[in-house]
Amino acid sequence: MKSWIRGTWVLAAKDLRNLFLSPLFYIITGLCTIVWTLVYFLSLQEFASQATMSQFGGPQGGPNLHFVVFAKHVSIVNLVMIFAVSALSMRLFTEEKRAGTMPLLLTSPVSATQITLGKFKAGVTAAWALLAISAVYPVSLAVYSSIEWGPLATSYLGLMLVVACYVGVGMLASSLTDNTVVSVIMALILNVLLWFVGALSEASPGGAVNAVFEHLNFGAHFVNFIKGSLSVASLVFFASVMALAVFLTQRVVESARWR
Amino acid sequence: MIEVKGLRKSYGPITAIADLNFSVRKGEVVGFLGPNGAGKSTTMKIITGAMAPTDGSVKVSGFDVFEDPIEVKKRIGYLPENPPVYGEMSVESYLRFVAQLKGVASANVGVQVERAIEKTDLGSVRRRLIANLSKGFRQRVGIAQALVSNPDVLILDEPTSGLDPRQVAEVRSLIQELKGEHTIILSTHILPEVQEMCERIIIINRGQIVAEDSLAGLTQRMQNSRSGLEVSVRLARPSAAVAQALGAVAGVTSVRLDAGVYKVQLTVNHMDAVEKLAEAAVATRAGLLELQHQAFDLEDIFLKLTANEDTAAVAAGGAQ
Repeated sequence: MKSWIRGTWVLAAKDLRNLFLSPLFYIITGLCTIVWTLVYFLSLQEFASQATMSQFGGPQGGPNLHFVVFAKHVSIVNLVMIFAVSALSMRLFTEEKRAGTMPLLLTSPVSATQITLGKFKAGVTAAWALLAISAVYPVSLAVYSSIEWGPLATSYLGLMLVVACYVGVGMLASSLTDNTVVSVIMALILNVLLWFVGALSEASPGGAVNAVFEHLNFGAHFVNFIKGSLSVASLVFFASVMALAVFLTQRVVESARWR
Repeated sequence: MIEVKGLRKSYGPITAIADLNFSVRKGEVVGFLGPNGAGKSTTMKIITGAMAPTDGSVKVSGFDVFEDPIEVKKRIGYLPENPPVYGEMSVESYLRFVAQLKGVASANVGVQVERAIEKTDLGSVRRRLIANLSKGFRQRVGIAQALVSNPDVLILDEPTSGLDPRQVAEVRSLIQELKGEHTIILSTHILPEVQEMCERIIIINRGQIVAEDSLAGLTQRMQNSRSGLEVSVRLARPSAAVAQALGAVAGVTSVRLDAGVYKVQLTVNHMDAVEKLAEAAVATRAGLLELQHQAFDLEDIFLKLTANEDTAAVAAGGAQ
């Protein structure tokens, strides 16, 4: 068991090392922060103007920092992450296949499951590193005002889960092709699709089918986290999406031996 | 050490290897020989567990490749056709990664990496990025990678491809050095290489073993299968009289002049006849410069075996 975990970590550490030593991660981070900074600045301004208005007899109670600024930030981070994670994960397997290093992995004393989990861990770590950078925006506000940590924490937990799902999907896409462009496009489409599966519940007329699609609604599960509530159903849902992606990728990796 | 039984692999309707059987003893160096597309790489991929066969079994140190893949892979170092290297890593960090991946104990990783670097003479480039290395160096990194876990079995697919003659010589001496410590299977289509490095040769063509023996054994077998012997005689002053004198030696069937060299055909495959021929050549006082009997070398064996197969296949194809 110990050596099993070690094998997975050796693989993950190699991928992370190569990712952080390549310009790709930094280019993606740079582009992401441009978008985040712009939107964050605008929502802070909106918050300021709402606060000013409430001082002069506007809506009761004044604006809510969490909903006006943080919730918007979280949804923008989520949107940007669809693209960023698709790009981060595009090389997980395509690069191995292109460089001809797949035989090394397949002939090393590690199983296809370990190879897949190693890749997944590396991808998730990189994506969470990017999330940590995005967390600087709300957390920095703590210097100037008091913030509600609870809903912010659950929002970020939600982001961590959603982003891990994107990594799973991106990894699956990269295992299916040896072309990075095809891989990133496939990942993007599938990740966007995740958000539209739930919309099918509106198309189907009630009953069991409707209920199934409602449970598969990414948006509905994610909104719970933004609102500051933790539900076991949502945790299990995101974990299942990840597990499914990892399982399918493992099958694809294993199938390389049979072709 | 390695036992291959009834191995078969087909890609759809194409059969890459058909019913391969052989075994390799501990410490042996076996050369896998065959024309391109004969199934050498496929066989190696199956032994290392990178590919599953359609049928048959492979055992390494008693472990079945398909039932205990992890145990087998711990014992194998594999160099594929293209060295499996990461361009963005330095030689040293790459070897460190492979050592860890192959399950070398943490305390030993450093020692093993040093050993592999030293054996493959990569000390001068250890901190360079692999992407910036020449093909020859990359190939050596590939060999170092196979060695780094100090495996019992080394499977090397064309270990000398892309190397310059000096590096080829180095790899050969490296393999000589590794002999005994490791069981080695190497494939190549460069014949002198096999001749120098391997104790046993397996010639495979169209997915089947066409010959399996030591080099001496193969040569012997070919000699025996041949009815006569050809001897080249080079003389300083060739003339018709000399040709006649050579033709008069017992056992000689024909003498012909080919580019200033007499090709003498003997009916008997015997060194006595060659000796008689030499005496006759000296007696003519035409200035004997060189006398050489044409022993079969590996190239002839290879060409004969693989060509036979080809013509047989063509004939079979024509009959259909």
